[in-house]
Amino acid sequence: MLSFLRRYGTLAGFAVVLLFFAMRLPDTFMTAQNWLNITQQLSMLMVVAAGMTIVMVMGDFDLSVGSMASLSGIVAAILFTLGFPIWLAVGVALLVGLLGGVINGALVSLVGILPFVATLATLTIFSGAAFVVSGGKTISGRAIPEAFGEFARQGLTIGTATIPNLTIVAVLVLAAVWVLLEQTTIGRRLYAIGGNVEAAYLSGVPVRRLKLLAFALTGLSAAGAGLLYASRVASANPTQGSGLMLNAIAAVFLGMTMSEQGEPRILATLIGVLILGVLDNGLTQMSVDSYVRQILVGAIIVIAVSASSITKSARR
Amino acid sequence: MNAAPLLSLRNVSKAYAGIPALRGIDLDVAGGEIHALMGENGAGKSTLIKILAGVVAPDSAEIAIDGKGVNIDSPAGAHRLGLRFIHQELSVVPTLSVAENIVLGRPYPRRAGVLVDWQALNRVALGALETLGIRHIDVRQKMARLSTGDRMLVKISSAFLGEDGAPARLYVMDEPTAALTREESERLFKVLREIKASGNSVLYVSHRIDEVMAICDRATVLRDGRPIDSGVLSAITHDDLVALMIGRKAGEAYPAASRLPSAEVAYERPGLAVRKGEIVGVAGLSGAGQTELLRAIFGDPAKAWASGIAYVPKERRSEGLVTSRPIYQNITLPHLHAQSLGGTWLTPRRERQFATRLGEDVRLRAAGVNQRVLELSGGNQQKVVFAKALGGAPRLLLLDEPTRGVDVGAKFDIYSIIRDMTSRGMAVLLVSSDLPELIGMADRIAVMRDGVIVTTVEARGLSEEALLNLCYGRDAMAA
Repeated sequence: MLSFLRRYGTLAGFAVVLLFFAMRLPDTFMTAQNWLNITQQLSMLMVVAAGMTIVMVMGDFDLSVGSMASLSGIVAAILFTLGFPIWLAVGVALLVGLLGGVINGALVSLVGILPFVATLATLTIFSGAAFVVSGGKTISGRAIPEAFGEFARQGLTIGTATIPNLTIVAVLVLAAVWVLLEQTTIGRRLYAIGGNVEAAYLSGVPVRRLKLLAFALTGLSAAGAGLLYASRVASANPTQGSGLMLNAIAAVFLGMTMSEQGEPRILATLIGVLILGVLDNGLTQMSVDSYVRQILVGAIIVIAVSASSITKSARR
Repeated sequence: MNAAPLLSLRNVSKAYAGIPALRGIDLDVAGGEIHALMGENGAGKSTLIKILAGVVAPDSAEIAIDGKGVNIDSPAGAHRLGLRFIHQELSVVPTLSVAENIVLGRPYPRRAGVLVDWQALNRVALGALETLGIRHIDVRQKMARLSTGDRMLVKISSAFLGEDGAPARLYVMDEPTAALTREESERLFKVLREIKASGNSVLYVSHRIDEVMAICDRATVLRDGRPIDSGVLSAITHDDLVALMIGRKAGEAYPAASRLPSAEVAYERPGLAVRKGEIVGVAGLSGAGQTELLRAIFGDPAKAWASGIAYVPKERRSEGLVTSRPIYQNITLPHLHAQSLGGTWLTPRRERQFATRLGEDVRLRAAGVNQRVLELSGGNQQKVVFAKALGGAPRLLLLDEPTRGVDVGAKFDIYSIIRDMTSRGMAVLLVSSDLPELIGMADRIAVMRDGVIVTTVEARGLSEEALLNLCYGRDAMAA
């Protein structure tokens, strides 16, 4: 019973939440359109959380993903105002994310600063940079090319349903991270670092290089999420990504409650993201105040994580 | 012996996930007795101790102390019943002083009700160390500055601290001498004899057969979760006890070499050469630079593995294994490049085959290569480390204390594996603080003092005493 609760408690809780919304919102919740909406709303979080999973597999954190998302949106928008073509502006913004991630990785693996401290510092730096570059203003309107905003509004039409482009991007990122973590030697070595960094090093795992790579990918995914966000609202402001970081970490933690060893797994992170997204969607539809929503989401995270740790530490 | 035994256990059983760890254990410890609890790793000793300590709930148990049935439901309950534990793992707080560590968990002496009376605290701690005859430890210094042996002594003395309310009746000691020098162990044994004289008892867990034969009155050997009573130890021999433990007649302690080392040198550096098929032992007092020598030879791990140098580190849990991961993933970790497609794509089926074959080579006992390493006993964990080291068919094998904390049966397996490897031409450098092991296994022994190899001697015919003298630098007295 206890071990069942430990492994499947979070999933069971998710099912209860789904059932609750399906009963309270019989006409709108369990519809294809609503679920496509949910996946679209979730796409940014999914991309950031996927990147976050990569560093958390090594037992590290990246607190700077939110401000990196803001920064990348700003960088692209500024380049648009300077008349750069879309592909180039997007490419440069992604490059900024990669570079920011490399800086995080270098601070952690080459300089040896704790990830918490290093990425807390770069969080502030990226955020400051976003303000400096944008002059603190929201960049919107005609400066943003129409095609860039259109991307988020369009999708792939199959029969009667249209799968939003943002959802497709999120699924592709999810698949790529799944392949990386579950199917390649890189993923295996990242898990070894997370399990025992000393044993991994003595087994010939290139710890420093992999940390650098992992943080770089997390930065890249944060920048990608920032671009998705900018496309969705057809504008960029220097704080719009700030909510992503805590939610991404929360999603990974929710996922970790489902693994026996408490390791982050990418598909478990997906469940975590879905839980957060479904709660947000359902509570919004029930017109629950957004601050009350925050309290509820926080409480659910506490319940899920403590249920899993209480059952783990129970007398054997 | 008088009427009721001090501690009586009847029908103690415990299963983990349906797999029995203890099957109906009966055990009596008389008052004034030092009773040994022995058995291979995984035989159930730890589980039994945890039940006594109130950490693990048994499936069934009748426990009586001085003939009265008791129920141990928590560590505090065990303490009230007069049970004291000295655990194998050192649970110390490095940032606190020695005195605070000794008094930890008990009320500190107070001044005016609220302030800690540090002088009284230090006096209490000094008194506790006195009982072990220890005078070289300053109770005011931080625990972190003490050597492992001294930490163990502090931990042990803490268990002897006098107390009101619940007088100690039985001390349970799990491998207390693992980190102690011979002199420190002797001091502990003296205290054990005093406990015995006072009518209290000791349940003494150890792998060290000589030690058990010397200080214990009787032994209970656990094998496959069942108890075997040794009877009075003074009536049996060392070999009888070994036979009880491994369930067969004890043969030679060290398997014989099947052929001589070749003349071809496999590895060379100034002051040290290891030939193909040769085992060179490395002896020295603790901290003479043995581990550093191996690390220097190993160098950059990735390059070392690639060039055919394998390393079995001293601390298997913290340096050798990723215990949360399956066996096969541990074994293939240094060989992932060869055991994947193009160095990139995982091929779990090939990995499992590779790991299964190596597991058989090292006589690994596990439910399968998908089992997590943390579920294995210490000896089998060490075999996983060996399988991992042997995976790339290395030309040089570096071993740092390969049999530490490993039971008799697994030890012999490990010796056989090493012999097997040398007969295939592998060169082995063996660091060990177990002198009989060095003499029994090595062809030549390099002796280290203060970080350098001072001499290299033939192992054949070398006496333990002569080797120890070399370690101490008393060359003139040797042989």
